[in-house]
Amino acid sequence: MNASQLSYRKLAQLHENERLIAWLQSCRLVIWLSVARRRQILFIGAIFAGVVGAFSRQASWHEYRFLTPWLVHGIAFLLLLGIIYSLYLAAVNFKRLPAVIRGRPQLCFHFFFWLLLLIIWCAPEQSGFSLAVLAVVAVSFPYLIWRAGYMLLSGQRGRAEGSRFSDHLFYIWPVWDGTNTPPGKGHDNLSRAEAQTPEAYARAILGGIKLLLLVALWKLVMQVIGAVVYGDPKSSLTPLLKGFYLGIPRLKQILGSDASTPLFVMWVSLYLELIWETLSLAAKGHVWIGVLRLFGFNVFRNTYKPLLAETVVDFWNRYYYYFKELMMEFFFFPAYVRYFRNQPMLRMITAVFAAAFVGNMYYHLLQAKDPLIAGNVDRLWAILGARFVYCFLLASGIAISMMRQQSRRGHPQAATLRTGGFSGVKRIACVWTFFAVINFWNVPANLTIAERGRLFLSLFGL
Amino acid sequence: MDREQKKNELIGFLRTIQRPDYPHNQIDEDSSLIESGLIDSLALLQIVTHLEQAYDLDFREIGFDPAELRSVGSILNLIARELKS
Repeated sequence: MNASQLSYRKLAQLHENERLIAWLQSCRLVIWLSVARRRQILFIGAIFAGVVGAFSRQASWHEYRFLTPWLVHGIAFLLLLGIIYSLYLAAVNFKRLPAVIRGRPQLCFHFFFWLLLLIIWCAPEQSGFSLAVLAVVAVSFPYLIWRAGYMLLSGQRGRAEGSRFSDHLFYIWPVWDGTNTPPGKGHDNLSRAEAQTPEAYARAILGGIKLLLLVALWKLVMQVIGAVVYGDPKSSLTPLLKGFYLGIPRLKQILGSDASTPLFVMWVSLYLELIWETLSLAAKGHVWIGVLRLFGFNVFRNTYKPLLAETVVDFWNRYYYYFKELMMEFFFFPAYVRYFRNQPMLRMITAVFAAAFVGNMYYHLLQAKDPLIAGNVDRLWAILGARFVYCFLLASGIAISMMRQQSRRGHPQAATLRTGGFSGVKRIACVWTFFAVINFWNVPANLTIAERGRLFLSLFGL
Repeated sequence: MDREQKKNELIGFLRTIQRPDYPHNQIDEDSSLIESGLIDSLALLQIVTHLEQAYDLDFREIGFDPAELRSVGSILNLIARELKS
């Protein structure tokens, strides 16, 4: 190993540097930030995040010059807190819940949300104030529904007993924010990964710092791609290139343009879009997980080298880990243990489609919260129509990949021979191509499915 | 079958589904099956199927909890608990 390789390794393994760990664990701040203190900080942060979340939804800050918006959002916040507390009570007293709720707790919770939507849809327009409160509660739900779902899951698995409300609120309204997908999952996973000693905390901090450094690196790479490939005016490097850039359009520009794009450029754009989105997601996810680690939760990364994955299912696992975990916990496993026990292949295909197709569609249906709360079906279809095809292709790809992977397991020699080298590169290329191509159906555009379908076929010269 | 026999049977099964690139020979009772690289998360499904067939466990009733399939030891605990009940 030469000197440059050695220094790269040192930097890459920053979180395993024993001297640094020894120094950090003796720092006063690290010692002072005990598990209890960190949890207290996160609890206060959760209240703050909950207030900001409730007040920033469905209203602009300048509207708070008047009393009504304050009241609407204030009451909505208290209602949400009440709902979360009730769910917490349900989780810690899970065994005492009625049998119908114990059997399908998640389903009952989602049923409650849909009941809320039904009330909003059916309410007369003149019920202004109360309707406005309900709308703020409903619009906050997609962010809370999966986080609170993890709390219920913890209750169902008997791990919530004895836990305090503050042990749950901090991941339901997390200071590290994130999307509707909860990074780090819920109580069970976070507690398991929580550093209990100054040494473990020091390791977690270094792991967090490493991720935050990676964020800076990926943002820099995105600036370079933005300037050199796209000529993006937002990139600070674009002016330095004095008008030189490759002129490859973003995929959304191709989909939104009337002029036809050369086939070669379309394909280059497809692959670059995959790289761009991977970098963008990695940068965001590293911030969430980086902050989690700074608070002592040494959880898995959200994105871990997906562009090196050699199978479709491995890419799905590495690309957006916590979204995949969400789909697995709430859709895949329940379907797998319930249906087609005696038909292995059908069992697996059903579970894959429950997660990657049904679960994925449902997740994005909830994500389209504004048209959902307005009950605007046309708008929902415009947003989700193309995703329908995307989810179908994704689920099919994963199912095939899973079956291939299962058939390869337990044959060490045969598999070892085929690992790495040119065949490895070929497999990586196939995975890139699959995700780049299906991403065509994932990028938002004002196109009907038929129009998008025609453009999609043109990729293959049809 | 006592715990040791069940452990050997389970390890025998895990050998048939292990990752092809798993570098170690030993399978420790306490180490995480996934984090140690022995299996990937997908293989949990095969463990479920195996436990259903070999021990007649019904995960519809038990409920699926990946943490209970985390290590050889936790799987053995699950089997013992369910057979007892």
